Amino acid sequence: MNITHNIRVIINGQTREISVAPNETLQDLLRYRLGLVGTKSGCETGDCGACTVIVDGKAVNSCLVLAVESNGSSVTTIEGISSNGELHPLQQAFIDHGAVQCGFCTPGMILAAKSLLDEDPNANEKDIRLALAGNLCRCTGYVSILKAVAAAGKTLRGGK
Amino acid sequence: MSNDHKVIGKSIPRLDARSKVLGEARYADDLSLPGMLYVKVVRSPHPNARIRSIDTSRARNYPGVISVLTAQDIPGEKLMGPIIKDQPVLCGEAVGYVGDAVALVGAETEQAAEEALELIKVDYEILAPVLDPFKAMEPGAPQVHSGGNIGTHSKVRRGDMEAAFRDATVVVEKRFFYPRVEHAYMEPEVAVVAPDPGGGFTVWSSTQYAHLDREEVSRVLGLPQSRVRVHQMMTGGGFGGKINPHAQCLAALIAWKAGRPAKLRYSREESLISSYKCHPFVMDMKLGANREGKLLALEATLVGNTGAYLLQGKAVITKSATHVSGPYYIPNIKADAYAVFTNCVPCGAMRGYGVPQVTFALESLMDELTGRLGLDPIELRMRNALDTTLPNATGQVMGASVPIKEMLGKAKLTVQSLKPLLQQAPAKGKLRAVGVGCSTRGIGSIRKPSRSTAVVSLHPDGSATVACGHVDLGQGSDTMMAQVAAEELGVDVDRVNVVTNDTAISPDCESTSASRVTYLSGNAVRLAAAKARQRVLEIAAGDLGCAPEELRLMNGSVVYREQGVTLAGLFSKHTFHSVTSVAEFLPDTVPPDPETGQGRPAGTYNFNVHVALVEVDEGTGQIRILRYLALTDVGHMINPLIVEGQVHGGMMMGLGSALMEEVKVENGVTNTSFATYLIPTTFDVPQELLIGVVEEPEPTGPFGAKGFAEGSLDPVGATIANAVSKAIGVRVTRLPMTSERIHELLSQR
Ligand code: FES
Ligand code: FES
Repeated sequence: MNITHNIRVIINGQTREISVAPNETLQDLLRYRLGLVGTKSGCETGDCGACTVIVDGKAVNSCLVLAVESNGSSVTTIEGISSNGELHPLQQAFIDHGAVQCGFCTPGMILAAKSLLDEDPNANEKDIRLALAGNLCRCTGYVSILKAVAAAGKTLRGGK
Repeated sequence: MSNDHKVIGKSIPRLDARSKVLGEARYADDLSLPGMLYVKVVRSPHPNARIRSIDTSRARNYPGVISVLTAQDIPGEKLMGPIIKDQPVLCGEAVGYVGDAVALVGAETEQAAEEALELIKVDYEILAPVLDPFKAMEPGAPQVHSGGNIGTHSKVRRGDMEAAFRDATVVVEKRFFYPRVEHAYMEPEVAVVAPDPGGGFTVWSSTQYAHLDREEVSRVLGLPQSRVRVHQMMTGGGFGGKINPHAQCLAALIAWKAGRPAKLRYSREESLISSYKCHPFVMDMKLGANREGKLLALEATLVGNTGAYLLQGKAVITKSATHVSGPYYIPNIKADAYAVFTNCVPCGAMRGYGVPQVTFALESLMDELTGRLGLDPIELRMRNALDTTLPNATGQVMGASVPIKEMLGKAKLTVQSLKPLLQQAPAKGKLRAVGVGCSTRGIGSIRKPSRSTAVVSLHPDGSATVACGHVDLGQGSDTMMAQVAAEELGVDVDRVNVVTNDTAISPDCESTSASRVTYLSGNAVRLAAAKARQRVLEIAAGDLGCAPEELRLMNGSVVYREQGVTLAGLFSKHTFHSVTSVAEFLPDTVPPDPETGQGRPAGTYNFNVHVALVEVDEGTGQIRILRYLALTDVGHMINPLIVEGQVHGGMMMGLGSALMEEVKVENGVTNTSFATYLIPTTFDVPQELLIGVVEEPEPTGPFGAKGFAEGSLDPVGATIANAVSKAIGVRVTRLPMTSERIHELLSQR
């Protein structure tokens, strides 16, 4: 159990060299070793999406990814999407549309939505529902979240 | 009454939203303290067993293990619970359900704690469990507790049942089943507890009632309440499920034993297996009406399976009995509601608190009546709806803010507007229909009066601190309290800091539950702020030689005609640092009489009318909600954005119990993950979900507001079931309406 692996990961734009245990998940690495606790933990079985982060452009459940697997990858967490206090349009839209209640699903939702909009800024309502289907929210009933993502898409397309 | 308000009625985004979208908000599991131990719990694999012995010796010697604890080590009280304290903190002699806590390990790492669990040997004498509430009520059934298996019996008695049913032209009668539902808050239970140098303990927790954490931790450790301080961390949802600080007490025991900080976080599986649920109900209901569709009599037997412990079961059962006649006037009522002990997972508070259950049964029977009387569903409801002169099941007449008829009128327009969609021939094999459901609920505790207290401090720079004990679980109450104080004090909302999450600062206001916060704490905050303002204005009036009524408080100044005096100047002249006021609000209520259920149990009531257009696939039994309208009565809106969020969330939670959610118990809970306990996802959001808010101010509410957050769940099961029953031509009597169940009903046609 004491064997560790040295990995090199870019986390929120910063290159880090870290030694990780073979059974350590990316979620545990981010939360409990790097202090990036904005990534949440709701199940650790891949069923809730609260731990969603973006790895090389794709939204993944970080509880299902081993830290060693992220060697050489670029990882974006909720802490990495605003710049100098300036909110990402998704973050602003979540605030404005009341898409945040308890906030526990919020980081994962925003990252899942970001990976969708990065890939397809023209995503429609159906695409948004599909992209967020693995992210559970018990507070909002999803309605305001769907609205917020659509609004952010518009902003990102320059539509405002 | 709203037009001259500056902040009341405005859609101000919740004040903590920014920290949440940035990932900066801190939840209990985000906290880590130096020297912190990790706690794991040994839980019973048996639903009913005696504990012969527990051998912890090997676990104690396991590397990394610091403390191992069983019931006999508990220094204080050994039983706990939110209302009825009947759940063992750790079971010493017997276990009552699969998941009951038996022993604790505190270790340097989570892994060591986990591994040591396996080394604890519990010798059980396995006994036959009783899982079915009806079997539990039979003579000779295994006794879950020594006092018999009926945990509580709540009654409503009014009028002459025999005569009323004799006079009825139509009588409908059926048995209905409502499922055991999981709260499914996204954040599982977490507590961190640390010993203080002064001999006390500090708790950081995910909780719905920080002061109960304080009470229970102090009872279990045998300390005065004043030596325990609780910080509610940002809490990832509760919905009634975080009012039993079990994790807090268990973590506290290790912190006490080891003299080190300790963290306990439940895995999702552990949370699903061990945490209390919403009561499943079996309801026999009989409803009689005359030819004109006037309801004459209602008889109901409600059996709630409360599992191994009562917790809040008594209050839930009382709420269901007192709400048995919904928003209708029924002169003759006989209701008997029981909480029955079984060896199932315990049930307690959940959003709805017994009301969605009875609403499902009653509203289904209302639709059965319409068929028999040849009346339109809305018309039948209109003929029986309460108004400001008619009493509800408890005999209470609400003198104001009873907009149910207005809401039914709006629902009627919606139903008419859906006609084209209904008549439009759906695809082959699809059946469409519209259903209606209504509900009402008393705001706040029914079983006893409950007081809220607020402390408001106005500072010399015009900003203000509000201390009040109703924690925010995500629903937005802190933001609404800030709006209430800001309105009274003439400042911007962001100049108000609301502190609800620290038991050393915020007064105990009972739990954040029963839709009580807006109404009770909103009043307390408003009164305290008004008192602080009045005090300041009186002092200034003395200086200015005018009457206080001629003065206004605005942005940190007292304004008199055109000129302003700053609070800073005024305070310094009169040797104030801040001006602090305390106020309380206690609604004028009378608990229901134990024999008749009659009383005046709530300060105000909330009403809901929902309409659903559904489409059922004849082949698969699958249900789609094409249109949904949730009409909500809020008195007066303090924050429309927050109201909308609560209604969306409540409606979708109701949709979960209507269509898919059911905690299954075979010995223990069998759906132990979100892969097997399914809750609604983005795919389940109706194509069109509309909200209509009706504002008929509640005279005793803060700015006319009243509670509403549970109400949006109450009629959902009933509404969808009524639509589906009509579509398939068979009465649905059991929720959830899974495809398999509907398929089965379709084949019975
Ligand atoms: S914590 Fe990873 S999916 Fe739930
Ligand atoms: S906001 Fe609470 S789970 Fe989504």
